[in-house]
Amino acid sequence: MWRVWALAAAAVLCALPWLPDAAAAQPARPAITVFAAADLVFAFGELVPLFEQRSGARVTLVLGSSGTLARQIEHGAPADVFFSADRALVDDLARAGAIIPETRSLYAQGRLALAVSKRAGLALRDLRDLERPEVRRIAIANPEHAPYGRAAKEALQALALWERLRPRLVYGENIRHTLQFVQAGAVEAAIVALSIASVAEVAAVAVDPRLHRPLDQMAAVLRRSGRPELGLALLQLVQGAEGRPIMKRYGFLVPGEF
Amino acid sequence: MPELFPVWLSLRVALLATLLTLAGGLPLAWLLARQRFPGRDLVEAAVVLPLVLPPTVLGYYLLLLIASQGPVGRALGALGVELAFTWRAAVLAACVGSVALLVKAAQAGFESVDARLEQAARTLGRSEWGIFWSITLPLAWRSVVAGTVLAFCRALGDFGITLMVAGNIPGLTQTLPLAIYDHVQSNRMAEANALALLAVAGVTALLMGLGRLARLRF
Repeated sequence: MWRVWALAAAAVLCALPWLPDAAAAQPARPAITVFAAADLVFAFGELVPLFEQRSGARVTLVLGSSGTLARQIEHGAPADVFFSADRALVDDLARAGAIIPETRSLYAQGRLALAVSKRAGLALRDLRDLERPEVRRIAIANPEHAPYGRAAKEALQALALWERLRPRLVYGENIRHTLQFVQAGAVEAAIVALSIASVAEVAAVAVDPRLHRPLDQMAAVLRRSGRPELGLALLQLVQGAEGRPIMKRYGFLVPGEF
Repeated sequence: MPELFPVWLSLRVALLATLLTLAGGLPLAWLLARQRFPGRDLVEAAVVLPLVLPPTVLGYYLLLLIASQGPVGRALGALGVELAFTWRAAVLAACVGSVALLVKAAQAGFESVDARLEQAARTLGRSEWGIFWSITLPLAWRSVVAGTVLAFCRALGDFGITLMVAGNIPGLTQTLPLAIYDHVQSNRMAEANALALLAVAGVTALLMGLGRLARLRF
């Protein structure tokens, strides 16, 4: 008897995943896939629904590290528009012929923030306060490949703090991972993107953008896109009169400010 | 309440991947256990390699192969099959990540079967195919089940390889581990915790059920 039950259970288990799901039954609306840098996660949480409402199009938002997304685009990923946190990656894609060069636009500049763990109970006002002995560990994104990590290193160098703080630094794989170190209370402070720093466990202070080279964020419509006009419309919304205040509120410098 | 599409997708991907891994891995395990052929040690090493390389790096190499301009991708494209950045790529990623676990477990199981029993069947005129199904597999089945369970769980949990070759496309290729990661990235911890709990509870129930089954005799 148990054999029958086991077989029946196995059959049900194997059949379940093939049942039709809601995602497959969506009405045919024009749709685009947007590849966006992870520092846009909160700003695009607001901008994408606004765009869907305005354009009637459905957006699939794929967030990731700009480097990974760029490599996937280079190898034929089904994206329509790419919002990079790193200008150089878009330039590389332009050389590889993967994007429509005329659509390239500098849609924002990233800003750094000093993120302090509330649990640590420290009041740090600017990067110089990182020298205080209570700050035992400081997280930054890996300066070798993460744009915000590179900017954090430049800011610390500009204040002649880099060599002194180096023994206390911990590297995160990307900017979000770096913030998680503070959220978990594993480090007292971190230098992250201002655009992702407003989370419950963290007090954030904006860092003076003159301390590092500009974090140019560039976007472009991909050559393989079947609906380039939709990608372009999103690009224009982000940089336009409606998008700019939102981007600004989430901690970006917007066109006209740089 | 989080979107449940990733749960169904992951089950689908992991089940298919486990079936494919069994289909390819069992013959390979038998070959490694019972046959001597040139390059055998090399094959044995190659099977384990996916466990050694960092998953995202392995995924990148795999992407180079299956991308539309890659050698495998071009051949498949000629047949009208698109692999990279589809759910099929997620199945491939799960297979690559889990095949070593099945092959090594099954190989050990086959090796522990007394070769004299197979020899005896051979003298009685059984075919090699018949010997495998009536002697080797029934005696080694616990190892095969163990390997299958490990492979299924690894397939269910694959992150790095899937991220690279299938992308993290919601509603298309976003599997359970990718969805959990995405929720954490977006600071939606409640959804992340719910999905993680679901995955842990589901697999725990599955393993307990299988444990009970394994105590019964076939």
